[in-house]
Amino acid sequence: MTASAPEMSAPLLEVSGVTKRYPGVLAVDNVTLSLGAGEIVGLVGKNGAGKSTLIKIIAGAERADEGHLSLNGEPLDLHRPHDATVAGLAFVHQDLQDVGDLSVAENVRMGLGYPRKLGLFVDWAELRRRAAEPIARLEVDIDPRQPVGELSVAQQRLVMIARGLGQQAQLLVLDEPSASLTDEEIEHLFAVVRRLRDDGITVVYVSHRLEEIFELTERVIVMRNGELVADEPTSSLDRGSLISHITGHEHAQTSAERRASRGVGGRPDTEAVLEVDGVSADTGVHDCSFDVRKGEILGVGGLMGSGRTELVRAVFGADHRREGQVRIHGVEISDNHPSESMSAGMALLPEDRKTQGNIMDFSVRNNITLASLDRHRVRPKTPMPSPRSEKQAADGRIDRLSIATPSDRQLVRLLSGGNQQKVVIAKWLEQGADVLIFDEPTIGVDVDGKEEIYDIMEELAAEGKAVVFISSEFSELVGVCHRVLVLHEGRIVGELEGDAVSEPAIIEICYSQH
Amino acid sequence: MADTNTASAPPPESARSRSSGSKPRFDLLSFISTYGVFITLVACLIIFTVLDSRFIEIDNVRTQLGLAAPLLMLSLGLTVVLAMGDFDLSIAGTLSACAAAIVVLIVNHDWPWGLAVLVGVAFGITIGAINGLLVSYVEMPSFITTLATFLILLGVEYMISDGRNITGAADMPDLYRDLGVGKPEPLTEFTSPVWIAAGLAIILWLMMSKTELGRYMYAIGGNPEAARLSGINVKALRALGFVVVGFVAVIAAVSQTARTASSIPRVGISLLLSAYAAAFLGAAASRQGLFNVPGTVLGVIFLQAVQSGLTILGYDRDILDISRGSILVLAMLLTALGAKRR
Repeated sequence: MTASAPEMSAPLLEVSGVTKRYPGVLAVDNVTLSLGAGEIVGLVGKNGAGKSTLIKIIAGAERADEGHLSLNGEPLDLHRPHDATVAGLAFVHQDLQDVGDLSVAENVRMGLGYPRKLGLFVDWAELRRRAAEPIARLEVDIDPRQPVGELSVAQQRLVMIARGLGQQAQLLVLDEPSASLTDEEIEHLFAVVRRLRDDGITVVYVSHRLEEIFELTERVIVMRNGELVADEPTSSLDRGSLISHITGHEHAQTSAERRASRGVGGRPDTEAVLEVDGVSADTGVHDCSFDVRKGEILGVGGLMGSGRTELVRAVFGADHRREGQVRIHGVEISDNHPSESMSAGMALLPEDRKTQGNIMDFSVRNNITLASLDRHRVRPKTPMPSPRSEKQAADGRIDRLSIATPSDRQLVRLLSGGNQQKVVIAKWLEQGADVLIFDEPTIGVDVDGKEEIYDIMEELAAEGKAVVFISSEFSELVGVCHRVLVLHEGRIVGELEGDAVSEPAIIEICYSQH
Repeated sequence: MADTNTASAPPPESARSRSSGSKPRFDLLSFISTYGVFITLVACLIIFTVLDSRFIEIDNVRTQLGLAAPLLMLSLGLTVVLAMGDFDLSIAGTLSACAAAIVVLIVNHDWPWGLAVLVGVAFGITIGAINGLLVSYVEMPSFITTLATFLILLGVEYMISDGRNITGAADMPDLYRDLGVGKPEPLTEFTSPVWIAAGLAIILWLMMSKTELGRYMYAIGGNPEAARLSGINVKALRALGFVVVGFVAVIAAVSQTARTASSIPRVGISLLLSAYAAAFLGAAASRQGLFNVPGTVLGVIFLQAVQSGLTILGYDRDILDISRGSILVLAMLLTALGAKRR
């Protein structure tokens, strides 16, 4: 079947007037939409816009309060996730839901029943053969016998897609599938998605990365505050109009406009706070040298896997440095323990805030003061934290960074992604760092949250802090940074400053390396 | 309604209304889940008292607290390690080996009791340091590592005691016996082990919930990598946890041997599982499910109360074990019921 216009293909799945309420929240508000066979549909919206709830309803994990679903014209009644599986609806979640110790074949066939010998024993050869079919359709070279835990994240996602194919899925929902994938892996993922579309499978692609929506999808559905606010062919939208739909604001700036309107220019003429001299590390960092000045925002760009995170971890002392020196305010810092960099005034806000940034089961207050507890003592010489002093500090930060939390005692686990990120920022501001390294601070953060994080970085720079900003989205580097370093295979291969900073220029450097 | 939603400002304002939210209505299930352990404990206390009033008499309370003291000490030490996300099974071995060593030194070799205890303490701290080194610096899994040291220590205990009870009430100085039975002090007439255990509980409670050290330990239990990147010396603190447990196990050994005036082979093993049960009960009793000192104290009191109540009612060992297990399940079940719904 050749690709046809959406209105010509028969509707595969229809969602009619679906509403879902949680206590105090209208999560999904009277949503009606229809998905045709063999189309790629983007589903976008801010965190909390209702995307996940809608997906859960289609997956049979939540029951709608009102409205109904139909599949191929037949009413579809889902009581549990298994019903959706049987109906041919497959879901690949952002958090991988495979069993790492089991083999690829076992994971692919999980929930579909394993073939048996003598009615009792698993027929391993047959199992591998059946699992190999969907894997082959994805054109990847994955051994069905290999434990899934040994695969890369990209391969694990493909295994989950293969599981969907194995259950004869008609509809495949991919939730943020490109997270932590390298650019090459994303390209492959796109190729796979397009092939599935050509085979007549409908793909719903959920992502915060708008570039991907434009590159891959044919139609975009935008949700805001639980409502469906736009359902349009991708070709009729541009970045600005899509962001307007997502945020509900009239006009969305492009990165270049933002840069111009904020008057982001070249680096300030001040002394260097952080100096990095010929740093190499076994994690794949080679002879990197740069400095960051007081009041400067330095961007670090590069494709996924270019060694950005590895570079800043080596600079911070989170990983061992093989060669090179790091100086803060002219004083050399050893790489023995992160605490030495910290007391010298450097802070690293890690890429993965869930596993590295916050103690998720600590309150907002206790996270904010964690790196500076010794300044909140009941008495200067007594190593006991003073709850009053801690509360004061936390409330101040919550206020200044506009952290959306009911109180300073709320567990960080219960906050949204953007607010969790702000708690990490608050911790380091409280610690009093002069050099703040932000590693992908906007991952999984919605459009408004991103803007707030840019504002925070700009305020910090205006206060005289040195800021290092790592991002995969070059547009945000352009919108914020005085200067941008471009990395490739662990080396600094380009540097742009002032008016020379632009998306095309960064992309040019990235791709001229091959 | 939809219109107001769309028109509302972005999250900073709308989501920040601090004290918004209607008055939460009383939710029986969440009440039960939060206080499941308390409810079960109070229910047990009432039932035992109704069935036989001897249960609640002050003499019985005194005796039971005295009996529970070594278990309490051990459980408290364990709480520190558990809070950091590690296990320590070797405590039972440390306790048994130290108990045997101290009694043999005092009874068979006529050592001054102070010196014998000092040797025990040094031994316990050494074991803790070895565990800490292996788990924290060599990065071996704590469960299997401490299981291994536990086995080794049982062997050491056997070497020392020859697998026999060593008794010697007559050979033990009164001062040492006082540590275990003690002259009840006049006001409350609680024996000295109760006071020692209470003191230890207060010290560890202060440490865990009032000091920077305790905060760091909980941070490690919550997320070791985030703790490390916040400048906390994760390795040193994890190792320190094992040293604390080793030290506490020796105090428990002294208390136990002084009370019975003997060392009973494998004495630690019987305490080991109860200590874990108490610590986990305590965690279940806390709102966030964290291991904590007051919770552990509550857990020990719980276990001892059930044991005492059933003993007074004349039940045998078999019923006793079955009941203890069932009540444990019940307490955890009540907690899990609501947790699942949240």
